[in-house]
Order: sequence, then structure tokens, then C-alpha cells
Amino acid sequence: MAVRAQFENSNEVGVFATLTNSYALVAIGGSENFYSVFEAELADVIPVVHTTIAGTRIIGRLTAGNRKGLLLPTSTTDQELQHLRNSLPDGVKIQRIEERLSALGNVICCNDHVALVHPDIERETEELIADVLGVEVFRQTIAENVLTGSYCALSNQGGIVHPQTSIKDQDELSSLLQVPLVAGSVNRGSAVVGAGMVVNDWMAVTGLDTTATELSVVESVFRLGEGQAPSNVNTSLKDSLVESFY
Amino acid sequence: MAAPPPPSTPAAQADDLLKRPLYAFDIPRELLKSLVVKGSGQDIAPTSEALESKEDEKLEELSKEPDPTSGMSCTLCGVKSKTVQEQRLHARSDVHRFNMKRKIRKQPPVSEMEFEKMIEALDESISGSESSSTEDEQSSDPLATLLRKKATLKAAEEVEEEDSPRKPRTPIIWMSSPMLPESTYVGVYRAILPDSTEESEVTQILPTLQTQTTSALPTASDPHIFLCMIGGGHFAAMIVSLIPKVVKRSGVVEREAVVLAHKTFHRYTTRRKQGGSQSANDNSKGTAHSAGSSLRRYNEAALTADIRELLGNWREMLDSSSLLFIRATGTSNRKTLFGGDNPVIRSTDKRIRGFPFTTRRATQSELMRCFVEVTRLKVSKIDETIITAPTPTASSATAPKAPVAKAKPSKEEALKLLHTTTLNTLLRRSKAPAIITYLNSNKLPFTYHLTPTNHHTPTLLHLAASQSHPTIVLALLTKALDGNKEPADPTAKNSAGKTAYDLAGDRATREVFRVARQELGEDRFDWELLGVGSPISRKEYDEAAEHEKMAKDAEEKERREKETARLKSMPDTSGSSSTAGKGGRGLAEVLGTNAATNAREEETKGLSEEAKRRLERERRARAAEERMKRLAGK
Repeated sequence: MAVRAQFENSNEVGVFATLTNSYALVAIGGSENFYSVFEAELADVIPVVHTTIAGTRIIGRLTAGNRKGLLLPTSTTDQELQHLRNSLPDGVKIQRIEERLSALGNVICCNDHVALVHPDIERETEELIADVLGVEVFRQTIAENVLTGSYCALSNQGGIVHPQTSIKDQDELSSLLQVPLVAGSVNRGSAVVGAGMVVNDWMAVTGLDTTATELSVVESVFRLGEGQAPSNVNTSLKDSLVESFY
Repeated sequence: MAAPPPPSTPAAQADDLLKRPLYAFDIPRELLKSLVVKGSGQDIAPTSEALESKEDEKLEELSKEPDPTSGMSCTLCGVKSKTVQEQRLHARSDVHRFNMKRKIRKQPPVSEMEFEKMIEALDESISGSESSSTEDEQSSDPLATLLRKKATLKAAEEVEEEDSPRKPRTPIIWMSSPMLPESTYVGVYRAILPDSTEESEVTQILPTLQTQTTSALPTASDPHIFLCMIGGGHFAAMIVSLIPKVVKRSGVVEREAVVLAHKTFHRYTTRRKQGGSQSANDNSKGTAHSAGSSLRRYNEAALTADIRELLGNWREMLDSSSLLFIRATGTSNRKTLFGGDNPVIRSTDKRIRGFPFTTRRATQSELMRCFVEVTRLKVSKIDETIITAPTPTASSATAPKAPVAKAKPSKEEALKLLHTTTLNTLLRRSKAPAIITYLNSNKLPFTYHLTPTNHHTPTLLHLAASQSHPTIVLALLTKALDGNKEPADPTAKNSAGKTAYDLAGDRATREVFRVARQELGEDRFDWELLGVGSPISRKEYDEAAEHEKMAKDAEEKERREKETARLKSMPDTSGSSSTAGKGGRGLAEVLGTNAATNAREEETKGLSEEAKRRLERERRARAAEERMKRLAGK
């Protein structure tokens, strides 16, 4: 199910939340409406943790995680780390990473099996990502952008990449990730799909500005609606997609 | 008004061409055609061809490039994989990562083979390098090292590339022509050419700038340029037509620059004696409240308003100006010109030029001078052959000089030096007979001048007098008579105008001059003028000296007697003082033996041996007495 939400008048949901198959992190200080969007869908299934990272609310950009683990920047305080340890399921490994590129959410884009990371990330970080998240790590760029986490939203079902990603690159990435990919936008044409939405295997939250077309693309590529499949993008929505992407 | 006159007849000779100043916007056609940029070869055409051919190749490459439709390939590295595993392996390989980073740096990707070679080369360089700081990183991540190395190489290349075309961007572009005399060049200011004109393009661009001289009165519609200067409360602006007016003056055809409009302002804005504008002072030190400051502040505002109004009136002409020469240094001056609600000139205007030479106060005549300067072709005569071959001539010129400077003193000089040294030594030892003998045996005059010339004591007599050697002075003055030689000249003066008598250091030396006066006679020298006292005979002098010596001796004797008497009385006093302190405890006893010996030494210091011995005897006696007393007490 794909829903729209807004965090304090901001459409960049991916900035203020992190969503995985085993937990969700939301920033403190948002309206109850924002939390209820998450809690309505997830409360019975996975914990929804209210937290800050390094005292800031841009937790979605600072953290990266999947079902198996959570990566935090070095700036995370001990209290925050303890709070997360207490709140998250025991199976989730939590690791603070010493990395120059500290906005981990911007430089890491991952599902439960693979991760696309910034080409300049350190070797130690790469190993930690592989260990903590249990993924294969690929240094890649998306449409010539090094910030893979910002320009790609990924789940185990599929992924959305920067709207100007060439077909060739999409094919390559799709083959690498072994999930279907489409080039798309969220929040009424925003190219930063990673920061504009959060997604796991059964729900996606996008900004309030997201158009119906964008939302239907999201639903189809992440297989969130009933009977929806990525192939549908090529049929019923093709015209509108072509118009909006190229 | 100064004006660049027209060229003479078309058939003018080369020299004639340069007799009159050349106007950059009306260069004689023949000359214009023949102009070649100085130092330029014919290497422009081939490079452009090469570029084209390269581009063609690129296009071909692009068209040839296989279009990988399958997702299981890497377009970046041009690698095709058969399975997903293969593709994933490739995506995690070093070569892929290397290419990824190259892509980010906008560099072309390398093939696997090239990459291997690079790594190998890197290994070699690592083994050769000594720097330990980077070695750890190198061993752990060769890729990073390679990238770093490539980056530095690339940076170096870029620097080189950037440097070569940008060499010296001189304000004047020099050109030569076969029509000009040998090694004569004409130059044109870069400022009058369109923006970003390369040096090589000048000869193509200059013809397009040429104007037609007409006898009709030029109008504002003709090409014109705007010149203005602001500074220190002065403002001058002028719009000059590029088409000069032709006038005949006393039979000679001359050109006159046509000023379409001009205006100058002056307001009192600069601070007297302190310098700088009032606004600058206000900004740095806070607003001053003197009468002068408010006056200047008002004037600054008024000047700005005046200038903006003027520029507003000239707006049409300014918009149609081909160039805007502006001198406005400092932010306030620039703000005056480019600021305001609706500025006539924008600071980003491509037509704006600075004056490429020093300018003086903003006046109309200065603007005119600048116009003439900037539009006139510069002529320079440079003999390239001289410039290119100065080194050998220079070295040949300096070569013979060196030995001259080092030339050894001649034999005579050496001999004189030797004499001076010897005489100096003898004089220092006050050996009068030796000096006389030396002078006689070497056939030197008594008026001997020292070598090298000394300013204070040029002669031997001066030296002897100044160092107070009366016997030598006397010998020099009187001994010559025995050998029928000329005596030393007491009237000789040093560079400060002093005679030997003036330099004499003590009374004895001055006395001997009196003796000399007696012996040489009054007629020999003008003794009075020298200031020498009345003559005395040698006998008198000797007697006086003897008397003096005796007096001195007596004095010395007395002193000695006094001293011995004092010393003789010393031990008694010290002994009595010791006995006086015996009843209590002597300081030496309190301080211990070491202090005691020290005190003893202190006591005996400066005493004669005899006195010391007596002191010692006294001391021992006292010690014995003490011992006896102690025994008796027991």
C-alpha cells in the first residue's frame, strides 16, 4: 500500500523516516498525523521507533538499514544508540560507522540482499555494510550521481531510480540488483526519489505532493497494490510515464 | 586637440609610413594586408585540421560502438558478462571501481589490460619510493594510490595545458610587416580589440575595425567610443568618434579626433592632508562630525547624482558605443558608475576596458591624451639579433676585466709597502737610530710618505708625532743634517689640514719640535705658523727631560716607600685584631676550617713574602698558646 504523508509541511518523507522490513524509525517532533500513517500500517507488525540521530531529525538521511541491521553515523550519541538497541528487535544488528561520508542514507541504498553505495566510500565501511546488513555491496552511480541513497528507492520487490537514468543503466542496475527498476519521480516531479519516499516490502510512504501517476508507478514497481506487477507499467501507464520521464 | 594625422601617399616608402603616427582604425590598406603577428608561425592551420580529424574519429568510434541491449554487461567498462554472477564479480572488481571513479572525474574509462599495466607500473614506483608516510596506504589499497597518482598526473597536465596558451598576455600585440623597415614592429593595444581576441587573430580582426575617413562632419551614428575617469572627486567623460575629421592646416592634411560629447565635474570630496574619500573614512572609522566631513559627504552624493544624470542623458550614445574605457578604482567610484536603480553601464558589460597604461588626474585633456594613446599604433625598433646574442659578448667583455681587478701591485708598489711595514714596526718599538739607518740605507727621504696613503698620518713624521715618539720625531727632524739630506717636513699637512705638531700626543713630543726649531734655525720653516713654541737647545731639552725624569723617579720612590711602610704596619694590626677577637669566638672558628683557611688567605692577600711569613708565625704561636691553655684547664 502506498500512502502520502507530510512531515511538518515537508514532502521529503525519506529525510525524516527510515523504513525496513523489521523496523521503522521516525523523527521526533512531527505531527501525530505523520506517526499515525506509519503506525496504522506497521504498529502490529514491526516497531515504530521515535528517535533523533545526533540530535537532529534528518534521521532518514543519516541512517541506512534493512531487515538484518542498522547503520548509524559516528555522530550518533550513546543515548540514542542505547534507545535504539532497546527499541529494535534483537535480531537487528546496530552498528555505528566511522565514515567520512557521514550521511549514510545518502550514500547507501539497500534492500535485504544488495546495496548500492557511493564510489568513494571507504573499504572498511564497505566491509561493515556487507557484514551488518548481510548484503552484496556494489559501488555504483545512478544517472551520473554518486549519491546512490538519494536517487534510488529500493525494496526486495523493485526499485525507483532517478528519472534521467538511461535505459542502459537501468538494465545494468536491474541485472545487478536482480529486481525490476523504473526511472521515476516522486513529490510532483522531484528527482530525489530516495529522500522523497520510504519503502519496504508491503508499504511505501511518499510526500503529500506526489501525483496519482507517480503513486501508481510506485505501487506497481514495488508491487504494493493488489494484482499489480511491474509489467503493468509498460502497458496502462506507459503514455503518462513517457511524458513525465523524458 | 591632438590628432592622429592621415598616412601620406599610397606609394610611401617604408620609412615614410612611420613618419606620422598611425591610427589604429585607419591603417593604410597595404600595410594592413601585410601585417603579421610577431613571433607567430603558420602553425594555426594544422592544429585546427588535426582537431577536426580527431573529432571525426570520435564520431566514428561512437557510431561503431556496439549497443549493448542486454542488461548483463557493463557499459562503463565495455565488458559483457554471460551470467549474473559474472556481472556481479565484474561490478566488484578493481577495474570497474577504477573506471567508476574516472567517470566521475570525466575521464575516459580504461580497459582491463591498460589497468593491469597501470597497476604494474604502480608497483614499480612503490618499490622505488622512499616515503614511508604513504606506504601503508599504498600497500593496503593500490587502487586508491593509483587514483591518487593519476589525479596528480592529470592535474599536472592540466596546469601545463592551461599555462601554455595563457603565457604572457601583454597589453600590446606586436606585428611586423615587410613594408616596414627591418626590425621595426607596430603594436596595437589589446584593449581596442573585441573581447577574448587571440593574438593570432589580430590580423583578421584589424581590417574589420577600419573606418572610412570623411570630410563630412561625423555624427553620433558613426562608430564611437566612450572614455571616462573618476577619482578624487574629479570626473571626466568623453565620447569620441572613431572617424576623424580631416582638416587642412597650412597645406598639410591632418586628422582631428571628433569629440561628440564631453563633460567634467569636480567636487571637493577627498580629505585634505589625510587623503582618501570621506565615505571610505566613514566606513572604516565611523562617521566624523566635523564641518568638512559633512561638506565632503554632501559633495560625494552630489557628484554621484551629477554623474548618474549625465550618463542618463548620454544613454543612447553609450548604448551605441563600441567600447567603454573606464578608470574607476575603489568600490565607491565603481558604485557611482555601475550602481543606482537603473544603471546606464553594467559592470559586467563586455565592452568595458581599463586604460592599459598609467593615467593622470581625470581631466578632459587627459582623456584626449588617453584616446590618442590607445588608438595610435605603437612603433618599436628592436634588433632581434642583439637580443638573441647578448650572452657571448657580455662574457667576452667581462673576461678581460677580471684580471685587471686582480692585477698584482707593481714592483715599486710592493717595495713601498715593504718599507712602510718595516718603518711602522720600528716606529712602534720607538727605535729612532734604527729608523734613521733604515732610511739612509734604503736611500729613502726623511719626508717619506707612507704607502698606502693614510689620511691621518701621511708622512712618517705625522705618524711618529701622533704616536708620541719624541726621539723619532727629533731624529727625523734633526738627523738629516748629518747626512746632508732634507729633514722631514714639519709643515706637511694631512688631509684634515693638520701638521705633525698638531698631532703630537704629549708634551715631550711638542718639546722636541722646539728643539728642532733651535737646531734647524728660524729660517728653515715658519715655526710660528706651525705653532711651535720658542726654540730651546738640545741641552736645555735634555736638562728639562732629566729634571722631569728625576722628579718622576723621586715621586716613584716616595710612593714605594709609602707602600712598604703601609705593608709593614699591616701584620701588626691584623694580629691585634685577631687577639682582640680571641676572647669570643672568631668568625673563622664558627664557619669551620674551610672558612678559616679562606679567611687566612684573604688576610695574606696583597702582602709581601716577609709579612706573610710573620703573619704565619704569629698564627702558630697563638695556636700553641691555645693548646697550652686547654691542657692547663684539664
